[in-house]
Amino acid sequence: MLFAAPATPMPVLGIFYPGETAGFFLIFMLGLLIYVFSRRAGTGKRVPSIRKIPGLESIDEAIGRATEMGKAVHYSIGIGGVTHADTIASWPILEYVARTCAKYDTKLVQTNRNYLVYGVCDEIIKQAYVAVGKPESYNPNDVRWYSDSQWGYSTAVLGYMNRDKPSTNFMFGSFAAETLLLAEAGAVLGCMQIAGTTNILQIPFFVATCDYTLLGEELYAASAYISKDPVLVGTVVAQDIMKMLIAAVTLVGGIFATFKADKWLKNLFAK
Amino acid sequence: MKRTIPLIITSVTALVLILSQATMLGRKLEIPKILDRYYLLAQAGAFMLGSIGRTRLHLQNIIRRREGYAYSIVLLVALWGFFILGLFQTSNGRVYQWVFNATLPHLESTTFAVIAFYIASAAYRAFRMRNIDSSILLITGALVILGSVPIGEAMWKALPSIKTWIMNVPNSAVQRGLQICIRVGSFAVALRVLLALERAHVGRGSD
Repeated sequence: MLFAAPATPMPVLGIFYPGETAGFFLIFMLGLLIYVFSRRAGTGKRVPSIRKIPGLESIDEAIGRATEMGKAVHYSIGIGGVTHADTIASWPILEYVARTCAKYDTKLVQTNRNYLVYGVCDEIIKQAYVAVGKPESYNPNDVRWYSDSQWGYSTAVLGYMNRDKPSTNFMFGSFAAETLLLAEAGAVLGCMQIAGTTNILQIPFFVATCDYTLLGEELYAASAYISKDPVLVGTVVAQDIMKMLIAAVTLVGGIFATFKADKWLKNLFAK
Repeated sequence: MKRTIPLIITSVTALVLILSQATMLGRKLEIPKILDRYYLLAQAGAFMLGSIGRTRLHLQNIIRRREGYAYSIVLLVALWGFFILGLFQTSNGRVYQWVFNATLPHLESTTFAVIAFYIASAAYRAFRMRNIDSSILLITGALVILGSVPIGEAMWKALPSIKTWIMNVPNSAVQRGLQICIRVGSFAVALRVLLALERAHVGRGSD
């Protein structure tokens, strides 16, 4: 019996793989909330607004500083791949930065570690220059893929920053151990730095070295905040309601656990 | 049309992947494995495109004798020399392995080690008492650092316990709160892409 095929697990509710039911319904509920609130916002009904996020408010100031000084703006999207949520959340910010830089003829240098991300960033920046009516100002050499290696990329960015001395350094995306290397180099060079990542191990480094830092999920709200698109704002409202529901469930779970009545609750979510 | 088709492909692929992860039938069909092969192909193609882009840029540096063009020569020799060596020897070849092991790991370790100095200078800036927030940060940081090293225990026996409490109670609570919010946020980003509400990656302009 040593070579017997592994037994097929029993499906939950007839179709779901064991252990995936709660996750699926969580995503389904969030999708439903997003649909309801984006429709509500789309039809002109009132949805709550997003509180002020200083890091995103200061993007214009940072680009303005580079324009006045006649220096470049550097934008790093981090080391994550195309499927990483931080990378996806960074693209709308990049689009906004590229449009603003194109409008004021400020040089924008964008650096990448992942070559698929590089392709998307190149297209976003190109489109941004076309959108403001300055396609001739777009320079393909300013959108750079340096290296697939984490440290190769970091070293190349350090080299670029020390040679060209940009006045503004944006870092939005997925960052790991290279965070401090990039951010401290910018701080030493006197760059105005705005950063955002959801890697909680790296956020303290950004807080210590940058002028403004987007903490955790603030990065995911950036798209809605910048575009002020009511449909996207509706999605942020939906995600906040979901968080409140999770907090409520955590609280109820805590109470049940305190009074040792949590067994049936555990069984419910173990399915 | 050039934006609509990618958005449809993205939505359908995302939906198929969610269902193939959550349902019995999806697991049986092993769709993620098939899609992974396409992802790998796309990566290989993009890697080549990236390399060609880099080569074009550095060739221009060399031809126009721009400042630091010697570094461009080194880069091109390393990039294409290693590629050609790999074609002849495969990644298991003796010379290929030797060149890799004698260069890249050492260069990467060196760069990684530099972080220690950057931590020192960043800590100096962060741990200055400017207001109440930075003072709390300084005191907490000092307690955690001293509680983690033997000299701290020699100074005051309670320091390791204080450090453990700081790490396990307030630090864990904040980290878990952040983690929950981040996970919900990342689900929301994924769903925005699935529902084609987020479309920066295909451009927002008109078709």
